[in-house]
Amino acid sequence: MTPTRETFGNIPLSSQLAFYALAAASMAVFAWGVYRRWKLWRLGTSINARDLITGSLAAVWQKVRGGAKRVAIDAGAQQRVRGHGLGTVAHVSLYVGFMALFVGTVLLETDNVLSHLWHGLKFHQGAYYVAYEFTLDVLGLLFLLGTLFFLGRRLVKPPALGHRATDWYVLLGFLAIGVTGYLVEALRILWQQPTGLGAHCSPVGLWLAGWLHLGEAEARHSHFLVWWIHSFLVFAFIASIPFTRLFHFIAGPMHIFLAKNVLGVMPPVTMEEVEATGRVGPADIRHFSQQQLLSLDACMECGRCEEVCPAFATAKPLSPKRVVQDLKGAMEKTAAALAAGKESEVPALHEATIAAETLWSCTACNACVNTCPVRVDQLTFILTLRRHLVAEGGLSGTAATALRRMQSNGNPWGLPATERTAWTDALKPKS
Amino acid sequence: MSTPAELTAPTVKENPSFEILYWVGCAASYDRRAQRVARAMVRLLRHAGVNFAILGKEEKCTGDSARRLGDEFLFQELATANIETLNKYHVKRIVAHCPHCVNALLKDYAQFGGHYEVVHHTQLLAELIRAGKLPAVAAADVNSGNAGAGDVTYHDPCYLARVNGIHEAPREVLATAIGGRSLCEMKRNRANTSCCGAGGGRMWMEEDPKQRVSTQRAGEALATGAKTVATGCPFCLTMMSDGVAANGAEARVLDIAELLVERLGLNPPAAPAPSAPATPASS
Repeated sequence: MTPTRETFGNIPLSSQLAFYALAAASMAVFAWGVYRRWKLWRLGTSINARDLITGSLAAVWQKVRGGAKRVAIDAGAQQRVRGHGLGTVAHVSLYVGFMALFVGTVLLETDNVLSHLWHGLKFHQGAYYVAYEFTLDVLGLLFLLGTLFFLGRRLVKPPALGHRATDWYVLLGFLAIGVTGYLVEALRILWQQPTGLGAHCSPVGLWLAGWLHLGEAEARHSHFLVWWIHSFLVFAFIASIPFTRLFHFIAGPMHIFLAKNVLGVMPPVTMEEVEATGRVGPADIRHFSQQQLLSLDACMECGRCEEVCPAFATAKPLSPKRVVQDLKGAMEKTAAALAAGKESEVPALHEATIAAETLWSCTACNACVNTCPVRVDQLTFILTLRRHLVAEGGLSGTAATALRRMQSNGNPWGLPATERTAWTDALKPKS
Repeated sequence: MSTPAELTAPTVKENPSFEILYWVGCAASYDRRAQRVARAMVRLLRHAGVNFAILGKEEKCTGDSARRLGDEFLFQELATANIETLNKYHVKRIVAHCPHCVNALLKDYAQFGGHYEVVHHTQLLAELIRAGKLPAVAAADVNSGNAGAGDVTYHDPCYLARVNGIHEAPREVLATAIGGRSLCEMKRNRANTSCCGAGGGRMWMEEDPKQRVSTQRAGEALATGAKTVATGCPFCLTMMSDGVAANGAEARVLDIAELLVERLGLNPPAAPAPSAPATPASS
């Protein structure tokens, strides 16, 4: 007999219909959640995203090529997650397991739809089925191991790592999804009683089935129950994505696609811009670009930027992670104030959101930008915020003196240009 | 016989047919410590027969600190003036020993129409060594001149290693400069280097002694057991020197060019190297 299993086996039609209704509902919640964040990013200055998809196919490819490559390498191949020891191993493991289960589910549903169109299109059987079951069965373990590592790390948390109450919900949810997934498989094996390859291609499920001493009827009954629990958990997870840290699935790759940051480059300001806007540098959140606002949502609070920040390491009032999170708070408050029609309640970025001392503590060393897995450019936030401070006369002391000297003498030492070659005197032979 | 002009640095007016412009930068022009780096560079360029010139009093600050401190328009004023000067002398290739100057000339100036080939002095020196113009010293000389200096560590400047990806050229030059001795790498090196504390305009700010980045970074350098801390940035030179002192240590802090000059025996009062080239087209 060809190894296979019936999709929605043991699930009555009424439950199947309820399943699809719930699927639609969870995706609607997901879409609404994404839309809420998307509206926040729209507060920023336009990045002309529409331009990316106009022109001939070749022109569009030219424009999106770089971004697609970054997403493939940074996110797809997990390149920017590297370099964090066990944390990296666990993330890659969770990611590989998750992606396999995700792709596997999509394939399963594709097979289901196709086989309804014409039975001959069914491909979830035979050698394909054996490879499919085996791959998912084994990679599901990676998903669980990664989840267990991150659960452990919530208990023994590195200081730079951010934490929200929903992180427990997310990780315990993952754990429950993984465990119920294996249980559904084990119970299915008990009632279906596959033989040969059909059974051995699910080694974990088969092993688990060995521990459950259930008759066929009991197995069918339990299977139905656990299948529903597993489905509920999955739908809750999908609906939760935009409301928890899971949102980095969406915002992370989106930002990596748009962020072509080159270290050591700053955005210029023109006099025309200053005349048109009446200000230099950002003063409220709407003065950042849509891409910059999206980056605030891409931030996972992993704390890598804080770990490498020399200002933070020497107890100065700066953490690049804090800057990003504070700006994110300002973005949310701004949206709320505008929705309520209270322009006066839009928070100022300076002092109300970020203290001047924080901005002056930065050495512009680029370590934070270089290390961020989702390419948040913390430095451009800081340096352009400085512009507004300087324009408002907010810089005093020795640094202000250096700027005045550069203005009047062309060098921060304030010495005359005629002395620029004085150092060469010592090169001349004494006569 | 050498004339005084052959020993020093000609300006673009004195040597209009120069091939590479040596961008000295404000630190080496005005800071006594950094001036020694510029003099070391001139000795090396002379020794290798490089046809170079400096802008002299026509050079202005690149404006890196101004831009990163947030004074965009002061930066643009300086950048525009410098680009005008560089274009007036038809500058194509620039060597600078300050990574902040390298980054500004390379990346900031490109936004305002200034496009040049910019190299850090360690890149040019590596090139000259590879071309055999700066001979590596025989193994027998390994312990002469700088005996007892101990092992050497190298502090990668952020704007060189991380921002512009230049970390192998400095090591190549160091290998020649300290031939025979080992380089003690710090835990954080190359693109993962840690800041000396002077970037982003912090060079011009006062810092609470308890919070000095330089003290921490110099501590890391000293922890390697090195007796010499090499670097390739005038800001790092100042900060690491202060940091070594703050750690109560006595390690030397030197620019790579200074170490190379020491190795090649080009330091004064040594007579000018016999291979010194004729002055290029000075009138």
